[in-house]
Amino acid sequence: MQGFFLGLSNGLMCLAYCTPVLVPFMLGEGRGVAHNFVALMQFLAGRLAGYLAFGFAAWLFNVAVLGRMGPKGLFIGILYVIFSSLMMAYGIFGREMPCAVRSIDRIAGKIRIPLLIPAAAGILSGVAFCPPFLLAMTDAAAGGSLSYSIFFFLMFFAGTSLFFLPMPFVGAFRRLQVLRIIGKMAAGIVGLYYFYAGMIAVIAGIRGA
Amino acid sequence: MPKIRSILGYMWAGAAVIVVFATFLGSGFFSRTLVAASGVKISPLYTGGEVVRSVDHGSYRALIHRPVFDALIGERKEGFIQVNWEPLAGLPPVIEESIDYTGDGKADFSVRIDTKTGKTMLTHINPQVTSIEESVKLDDGWVVRVQLKKD
Amino acid sequence: MKINPPQARQREGMVKTVLLTVVMAVITIIMFSKGKIPQNTKELIALILTILFANTLFFLMVHTGKTDRYRAVYFSTFAVMLIISFISHMFGARGSMSLSEAKVLQCEVPFCHLVIPMTLVPMALTKTIIFPGSLIGGYASIASMFVLWIGATLALGRGFCSWGCFYGGLDDGFSRVLKRPVIKKINPKWIYLPFAVLLFVVLTAAAYLSPTYCTWFCPFKAVTEFEAVTSTKILIQTIIFVSLFIGLVIVLPILTKRRTQCAFLCPFGAMQSLTNKINVFDVRIDKEKCVKCKRCIQVCPTLSMSEESLEDGRARITCMKCGKCIDSCPKGAISYHIKGTDVAGNNNAYRLLFLFAAFLFISIFSAHIIQDGIVRVLKLITTGSMIL
Repeated sequence: MQGFFLGLSNGLMCLAYCTPVLVPFMLGEGRGVAHNFVALMQFLAGRLAGYLAFGFAAWLFNVAVLGRMGPKGLFIGILYVIFSSLMMAYGIFGREMPCAVRSIDRIAGKIRIPLLIPAAAGILSGVAFCPPFLLAMTDAAAGGSLSYSIFFFLMFFAGTSLFFLPMPFVGAFRRLQVLRIIGKMAAGIVGLYYFYAGMIAVIAGIRGA
Repeated sequence: MPKIRSILGYMWAGAAVIVVFATFLGSGFFSRTLVAASGVKISPLYTGGEVVRSVDHGSYRALIHRPVFDALIGERKEGFIQVNWEPLAGLPPVIEESIDYTGDGKADFSVRIDTKTGKTMLTHINPQVTSIEESVKLDDGWVVRVQLKKD
Repeated sequence: MKINPPQARQREGMVKTVLLTVVMAVITIIMFSKGKIPQNTKELIALILTILFANTLFFLMVHTGKTDRYRAVYFSTFAVMLIISFISHMFGARGSMSLSEAKVLQCEVPFCHLVIPMTLVPMALTKTIIFPGSLIGGYASIASMFVLWIGATLALGRGFCSWGCFYGGLDDGFSRVLKRPVIKKINPKWIYLPFAVLLFVVLTAAAYLSPTYCTWFCPFKAVTEFEAVTSTKILIQTIIFVSLFIGLVIVLPILTKRRTQCAFLCPFGAMQSLTNKINVFDVRIDKEKCVKCKRCIQVCPTLSMSEESLEDGRARITCMKCGKCIDSCPKGAISYHIKGTDVAGNNNAYRLLFLFAAFLFISIFSAHIIQDGIVRVLKLITTGSMIL
């Protein structure tokens, strides 16, 4: 559930940052809800592929790094503190979030099959190194097993994707700027929560060591 | 059409006044109906879950609740089991109780409570039993919550 | 540019005012007394004072055409009386304001409306309420608060925040201390923070099956009840809610003359904003009368008026229907409005219908609390103790 809720709490921000770039590629005027729905499904499929790849990468990180450490609570706590501080910086202080999907306009011209553009955009959005994603990766890696990591990212995907479902109905984007502000603020608050959790883990780790 | 909309608007506004009256005059009725129709209860995380067994000790009795692992969907990995002793007036200076919550005939843990000082000791038997979460004197009795974990 | 002082609009003549007040008086006498004359002298005095107080304010509201000035008096009095009543009740029942573990385990914690947003998802999925309170009966039961919330939502939408919430009168009252704001500029993006808080607390409450806003953020624990500090975690929680109370309920409202807690934090208010979409009453601007003096933008306690609102001819979704912009408009361009009717139509009728619904709500809801507060104050004067 933690993955799902982390995804839900950040999905609004993902939507608000990604859609201004995605909409021109995915949703053409007059193409209708059915076409938009197909494009959305392609995008989500690409995004899921990206997320699952990251779930696998998180498990590899656990095997290669975390698993070889002794008590990993202190290290995980430090990662939480760093990533959550970044999230708070983006959420509260308004810095721009790095989002790989912005590069879609550069690579779209190189994709020969137009139908694959939404899928490519989805994959790019699924391999972004934004702070909520890094926090998700830390959480997934801390779980230990491959199945946990994959399942964590599957639930993270489910959480973020809920906000994309209204996309085929273009009218949902009238308030995009407002959603963007709310998404950033929600990310800042989630950052505060992870900062607190990270500090507790660091203090516990130091006391234990 | 504008006139019809206007009339409907006024009717809707008038209905708002009636809603206010109904809210207060019918508060008791609506509350009971809401609870009965929705079937909601207080979360077992707060009530301790349903009592599944009662052990009679003469002047007092122990009420053993079901293990609570409730989550939003499915169950959590960690939970607790709550045991109540009542009434307060009938409690001995020291309560000693062995609890079998799995129903297999073997005790899973035992507690020893000094009801004067509140000092509570837990003896683990079942490895799923971890620690005491709460040991609190109530208005009419005593309650202990013991943390459990699933395998 | 000198702005002409606001003119009273939508005032009613004496005959009509008296008639309407008589109707309100009959209703309030019946509802406040519950059909019984109190035998106890203090209770009788409290009943009479409350009836006179409520109906005097209603009379003034109708006759002068000023809504917010008199609403705020009632609203702040309600908040203060709640604090007096609640705290003395806590001291009488358990000897302190702090919430004991026993009360939590016995599910005897009073429920308030701020918890409602957090209970909805768990209630839908598990059919349980994630709050250690009493479902029916007892002090501030859960079901009665839900009924109240549903009624308020249907009748008033976010108007509940100005005509119902027993906490709102605190920052509303503090926002009127100074004549002019010390901090004038506030970034309007902060009005979206409550929505972010709402999203966060709804998700975390569902994830952990615990009312996270109550545990971690609610500033009003400072004037009702709170957990006794027995661990570092509870100490951190206490520091947070005390800081939020001092900052958002006292200091910032004084400095900004805005209701900063309600406008920039409260997740319940954010949820109620969404209900404004389906509520019959709203606040509209007659663009033909509006001269864009922006007085309404300066005075709105929740920043629900903006340049965009003036273009749209309506307040933002976060409007609490307090009436401050209506009272301040020098051209009478802003008014309460009934959806479906003409904006430039019978504004007096719209206002009266709204006032009836809203004032009835706040007066009936607050009656018992104000009376109890008066009884306790009288007891304090006569015996030196507020505890009944």
